[in-house]
Amino acid sequence: MKYETVIGLEVHVELATESKIFCSCSAKFGAEQNDHVCPACCGMPGMLPIVNKRVVDLGMTAGMMLNCDINRTTTFDKKSYYYPDLPGSYQTTQWFAPICVNGKVKINTSKGEKFVRIKQIHMEEDAGKLVHDDWTDTSLVDYNRTSVPLIEIVSQPDLSSAEEVLAYLERLRDLLRFAKVSDCRFEQGSMRCDVNLSIRPEGSDKLGVRTEMKNMNSLSAIERAIDYEVARHIDALENHTEELVQETRRWDDVKGKSYSMRTKETAGDYRYFPDPNVMPVVIDDEWFDSIRASLPEFPEVKKAKYTEELGLSEYDADQLTQSRAYCDCFEAALAESGMAKESANWIISDCAKALNRRQETADMLKINGKALGQLIKLVSEDKVGRANAKKILDAMFEEDIDPLAYAEKNGFIVSNDTGAIEAIVKAVVEADPKSVADFKGGKEKALMALFGKCMKELKGNCNPQVLREILIDQINKA
Amino acid sequence: MTKEILLRLESENQLALDDTQRDEIIAFMDAQGVEFAKLDAIDTENTERMVHVMPILTVVREDVMIKNFTRDELQAGAPETMDGYWQVPRLVE
Ligand SMILES: [Zn+2]
Repeated sequence: MKYETVIGLEVHVELATESKIFCSCSAKFGAEQNDHVCPACCGMPGMLPIVNKRVVDLGMTAGMMLNCDINRTTTFDKKSYYYPDLPGSYQTTQWFAPICVNGKVKINTSKGEKFVRIKQIHMEEDAGKLVHDDWTDTSLVDYNRTSVPLIEIVSQPDLSSAEEVLAYLERLRDLLRFAKVSDCRFEQGSMRCDVNLSIRPEGSDKLGVRTEMKNMNSLSAIERAIDYEVARHIDALENHTEELVQETRRWDDVKGKSYSMRTKETAGDYRYFPDPNVMPVVIDDEWFDSIRASLPEFPEVKKAKYTEELGLSEYDADQLTQSRAYCDCFEAALAESGMAKESANWIISDCAKALNRRQETADMLKINGKALGQLIKLVSEDKVGRANAKKILDAMFEEDIDPLAYAEKNGFIVSNDTGAIEAIVKAVVEADPKSVADFKGGKEKALMALFGKCMKELKGNCNPQVLREILIDQINKA
Repeated sequence: MTKEILLRLESENQLALDDTQRDEIIAFMDAQGVEFAKLDAIDTENTERMVHVMPILTVVREDVMIKNFTRDELQAGAPETMDGYWQVPRLVE
């Protein structure tokens, strides 16, 4: 019998905010244990949560990027469960009126285009972290992550293969990064995914028994886990190797197997009820419109613009649109310099190399795009040589500098004093009669050696064409 | 409320009740059930959902990080701590 796979995803994304969702503690990753805590986020009685407006901004932004309807009155609810990583014994989340509903996302796979429907996006707080200490046989609790803001993006069960799941996750990641909702880094846990999966005979409209794998945190693990679960379900149905039950399973990526964790809770077990401490949030037209106006163009819209209007190659446009930071820098550099191809090259090649040296990603490009445009102009107007321009770019990664002032201060301005250039070239030629003779004997390489020596003496501050002419002139005179 | 449901809630919430307490709770919840049945009987088809009991909406703050407390202050009343962590009985899922 042929089977089809039915997959729905719940994707958790940590929002790019400074502070937590209901208190002013830092939401940043990587502090010492319990350094980012206050009475509110460690569950002390009597504390009142106050919603971080930025969380609502980013929730709305995510919804608009994913074609959702925005609930103009959105409310928070308590989800009860008892575990030490949740100090209040409940998670504040959204159940009755989530911020976004009814979205859709277009994905591309080898089978073509497809829309994945989004059921809802809700805002909620993250839980803390537990470390189990074998020596004392106790659990150690760190509340730094407690109340860090998340959105959970719940899809409809519209996905039918690991390939589609990966295409969907990559599309979510691209759109949310582009809109600066989150850095969406699986490896740091800022994007995590629960996979709900069942199989059924092809063409059947009845859903099979569903299993859920929680907290998957790498694309390759998700792919392997889906393939494993599909095979396990089919084996259970065809060969009766086990009875499938609705449950939560843990994926062990090292062993390449999934294990039963516990039976699945149903919504009723969480006893959702409206959180009386958090006032409903009403999004008025002004607020809604300001978020709509702040949305970026989709990457593919920018790409089309870059190739069709600016004449960039497909490759260059692809490279730039992989990162919103690249696009912003490129557009600012272009506005200043008027040179599209040059601006693209400096970002794709020189900035990318500099980021690489600093072990930073494309999203972390922070240099001033306008200053980059000024630097490009200095090079194209022969005011600064290319090698020195790269040094100026390196300085731009350290601080926001004015390229011209920096070039003047550091002696990077190209000399137009041909008399002075001639004197230096003459000295180089006289000091190296062997290279001169080699060149005259037909060895082109000898000219390059002399050229390099002259450029070094001139500290890079000479137009290469001018230098070449003066050099050949001096060789002929020698 | 049945005894079966109560036992499940007990285990989920890690409570240890005795039979007298169980009987009390079941009787109390059954009484609540009678009241809820009256509410359920009311036709709310065209009633807008009440979002909150207080007429206060949209209490939000700007996204500014403020550190008001030290770890030592917060852990001053904790029964057990270790290396800056709260220390609790080990739980196995
Ligand atoms: Zn806090």
